[in-house]
Amino acid sequence: MPKLIFRLFLSFVLFVSVFIFIQQHLKPDSFGKYGHYRANAIDDNKMRTSYFKSENKCKECHQDIYDLKDNDVHYGVRCESCHSPKINASVECKEMPPKVEGTLKFCGQCHAMNLGRLKKGVPQLDFKEHKQGQNCIECHNPHAPWELKEN
Amino acid sequence: MGTKRKLENRRKFFQTSATLIGGTLMYSLIKPFEAIAETKEKDTEDDKANLPLWGMGVDLESCIGCGKCVEACKIENDVPKEPFYFRTWVEQYTVKNDGEVKIESPNGGIGGLKQSVPDEDIFKSFMVPKLCNHCTKAPCVQACPVGATFISPDGVVLVDETYCIGCSYCIQACPYGARYMNPITKVADKCTFCYHRITKGLQPACVEVCPTDARIFGNLKDKKSDLVKFLQKNPTQVLKPHLNTHSRVFYNGLSSEVK
Repeated sequence: MPKLIFRLFLSFVLFVSVFIFIQQHLKPDSFGKYGHYRANAIDDNKMRTSYFKSENKCKECHQDIYDLKDNDVHYGVRCESCHSPKINASVECKEMPPKVEGTLKFCGQCHAMNLGRLKKGVPQLDFKEHKQGQNCIECHNPHAPWELKEN
Repeated sequence: MGTKRKLENRRKFFQTSATLIGGTLMYSLIKPFEAIAETKEKDTEDDKANLPLWGMGVDLESCIGCGKCVEACKIENDVPKEPFYFRTWVEQYTVKNDGEVKIESPNGGIGGLKQSVPDEDIFKSFMVPKLCNHCTKAPCVQACPVGATFISPDGVVLVDETYCIGCSYCIQACPYGARYMNPITKVADKCTFCYHRITKGLQPACVEVCPTDARIFGNLKDKKSDLVKFLQKNPTQVLKPHLNTHSRVFYNGLSSEVK
């Protein structure tokens, strides 16, 4: 083999090995385990805190209210649909209780008149005609809306 | 042109055929060794077979546009409050009597959608919740130059927040506009089907709070899951099927106006 070619070959081998060496050191752990990404990133995504606890957690303390709701027209509405946890709420809901003001604006999110909502089984009200100025919870019990309170 | 040239041609022909056959033989010799290198991949494929395949169904016939899902998503996933950043949002489509289509989504639908067109002008009106479609052939994954966004083995498109360089190529690549640049973390962010919840057996936050069960979440491989039942019951469609993204968010009652 001519000297020139040998040197070229040697530098080529050197270049490739240096490349492999650097790559091994720069490549993050678990990269390429499942594909062209860091497999540990899947675990990173699992590590977030969940603020919403689901109904089973609410039932531990509030079984009575849950039963009331579950046997009435709001049975499909989950606890946290209305009592959404406050942002920055800690794991314990007692520290920042998810209280709800039963205002026209709040109940109107679902019950205000909108043509796109008709015929979907949700009662629609024109709040200009229906008891204007009052809060919904002054008459209705949100967990059993048709048990009207006497005024 | 003589016999010499002809012979040369013939020699060349034999030489090429010999190299071709020899090459194939050599390759067949190497092949058993390839299997050793591949075993690792095969293991992961076996893992994949036991994993669920997550998907979502959206029932437009039940969606009332209350915006609870958008609100819940923002709380659950620390999405900035400004009405510009959304992992999911609800649009109201209004088709007027003259054929004009009006699409609205003030603040993504938080606080309930309100109809701005007078009732007598409306031909039809409906709500469409939108989110990441978790494409099987995701354009955003192909666009990412560093491998920071990927499809997890259980079929959810995720972002590696520590690896993302914030070039926003994926945001441009997404045909559904489902990604945004998080102004706090400075990396791309998107719907993960609440990956931290579904891996613990909970439902995604938007599904959890939906009062009319317009969102159905489940495992596409489990024939008894709510989602598979929903798909069996209803004729469903995906958004932008012509783009061949094979998305895993299925819409029931999708009108042709929806883009």
